[in-house]
Amino acid sequence: MSSPPLWRRVGIDLRLLLMCLLLAVMAIAFHVLSGGIFLSPENLYNVAQQTAVVGIVATVMVLVIVARHIDLSVGSVMGFVGVLIAYLQYTSGWSWPAASLAGLAVALLVSIYQGWLTAVLGVPSFVVTLGGLMSFRGAAFLVADGKTQPVNDEFFQRLGGGYDGGIGVTATWVITAVVAVALFARMLQKRRARQQHEMPTEALWVDLLLTALPVLALAAFAWTMNNYKIADKPEAQGIPIPVLIWAVVAIVLSFIVHRTRFGRYVFAMGGNPDAAALVGIPVKRVTLLLFGLLAVLVTIAAIVSIARLNAGTNSLGTGMELYVIAAAVIGGTALAGGSGSIFGSVLGALIMQSLDSGMLLLDVPIGKRMVIIGQVLIVAVVFDVLYRRRFGDN
Amino acid sequence: MAHTIDRSRPLVELRDIRKAFGGVQAVDGVSVNLYPGEVVALLGHNGAGKSTLMKMLAGAYPIDSGDTLIAGEKVQIRTPSEAQAQGIETIYQTLALADNLDSVSNLFLGREKLTRWNTLDDHFMEGQARKVFQRLNKNFTNIRVPVRRLSGGQRQVVAISRALYFNARILIMDEPCAALGPEETAMVGGLVKQLKSDGVGIFLITHDMPDVFGLSDRLAVMKNGKLVGTYRTADVTEDEVLGMIIAGKRPAGKAQAEHA
Repeated sequence: MSSPPLWRRVGIDLRLLLMCLLLAVMAIAFHVLSGGIFLSPENLYNVAQQTAVVGIVATVMVLVIVARHIDLSVGSVMGFVGVLIAYLQYTSGWSWPAASLAGLAVALLVSIYQGWLTAVLGVPSFVVTLGGLMSFRGAAFLVADGKTQPVNDEFFQRLGGGYDGGIGVTATWVITAVVAVALFARMLQKRRARQQHEMPTEALWVDLLLTALPVLALAAFAWTMNNYKIADKPEAQGIPIPVLIWAVVAIVLSFIVHRTRFGRYVFAMGGNPDAAALVGIPVKRVTLLLFGLLAVLVTIAAIVSIARLNAGTNSLGTGMELYVIAAAVIGGTALAGGSGSIFGSVLGALIMQSLDSGMLLLDVPIGKRMVIIGQVLIVAVVFDVLYRRRFGDN
Repeated sequence: MAHTIDRSRPLVELRDIRKAFGGVQAVDGVSVNLYPGEVVALLGHNGAGKSTLMKMLAGAYPIDSGDTLIAGEKVQIRTPSEAQAQGIETIYQTLALADNLDSVSNLFLGREKLTRWNTLDDHFMEGQARKVFQRLNKNFTNIRVPVRRLSGGQRQVVAISRALYFNARILIMDEPCAALGPEETAMVGGLVKQLKSDGVGIFLITHDMPDVFGLSDRLAVMKNGKLVGTYRTADVTEDEVLGMIIAGKRPAGKAQAEHA
């Protein structure tokens, strides 16, 4: 048997590499066209923190789509939960942790309801959540009678990024160093495990290089965030808190996908639902759990979102489902189910948001932006179909 | 261990099993036994009810009425996991593989080995999988690619490995050789004989007469959800078997066989 090429052996996903390149090309093009604004630390800081809300929900949308479901109600549920958390703080005078937990409880009830209809009664999730898209937008209106609910807690506001929402220079470098050390340690530990089990390993320089690249990208990001200084503040911003939350969410979900039974079952159900049932996977329970996980992340996104806007409004998250699904699909999640990656959704969310912000910088009017973004989603799906046809379904 | 097997007591007794889908009686009062170390071929047209009967034993469908006895004890099998707990393994015609996962994940699907932190123990599972696959096919090494990229024979190896690794004592094989070449068919035949000598009881669903006469000890024929009859394979001819399958006609003057 001939050995596969190096890039395939070390598990490089050609498609994600293409997405990285596309993102880089887009960024440079916008940078040039905007006269040097797009790649400035200030703009990158804003793009990063704006992407976080969509990015957080997109990570779990990947799993929902992998399991052959869809959730069109994420934007509405986020609006509903967001207004509720803001209402409980502003109008009812609750502390932010209590209000957030209540929001989580309501999100879980919503997900149990929608998950039960889907998993137990077998109603297609498309229909259930299409109804939810309308109903929960209405519920968001009902919570505060359509009135905007300001959020005033200073700590809570920092969760959304913005003026006081960076973690600062020192913390940024500490986190970067810790992650870098962890990545190298994991690489070495993997090599050792493979050698112990007498499996072939790549040359050390290959593994070093493959670990160094993401570390360098991370360091570059940290350096950029540490160079954004708001005029009247003594210290630079550092990594925005929403981005940190998004990163933690993405790492936790990657762990769930690769290291837990639940993650494996989600992929098995998407690859072959009949087989999943025949080998004894508790399909209904896994589906309900998946909707529960979605509720947790929608709540986190709602918290970040109202903290960023300093208010909960009944229009919060309107149209977000499109961005979230687009991020997942651009990141290589197959709408037919069975394949997708969390890291892909991170790239997909960044591509969507960069496109949106870049066009905003170039003063492209809202109508044209909507036309273009809608078509980009279609281009992504067409690319997906052609790519799978060309390179086999992987 | 072959000499310690008690072949006088049935391993599986299905009694008066019934199952309806909507208004269609898919299985209508069928009783059949299986003894340790015995192969019983289940025959019949498509839609005769043989696969439905086996799916009930495998826990994939609930039984409407009737009793299931395993080694003399009445049991309720409501889910595939409960069937697995009774030592019942099934090799489905469709193989029941998740095409997007690799062979190791498929072998352990639903029964993953976990580390003490409740995470997947991939190294353990890969090592075990390698051993089982080697037993069945020496050339099967690309065990970490999605099974959709494997040949029909390799996919069959993965499906069969489940039964081997988890020590089936009752094995249901649904058309195990339908998609296989001659070499792989011979491998399956050899495996059936080896499992028999280990005392495993095997239900073999097939349309292939050489398989029936080459592998089975008894045969049970179904038509329109009802059992036509159960005979010792050595007692009947191919024409008589075809007569039962097609016309539901019992061969004249041949005794039915409830025992191995």
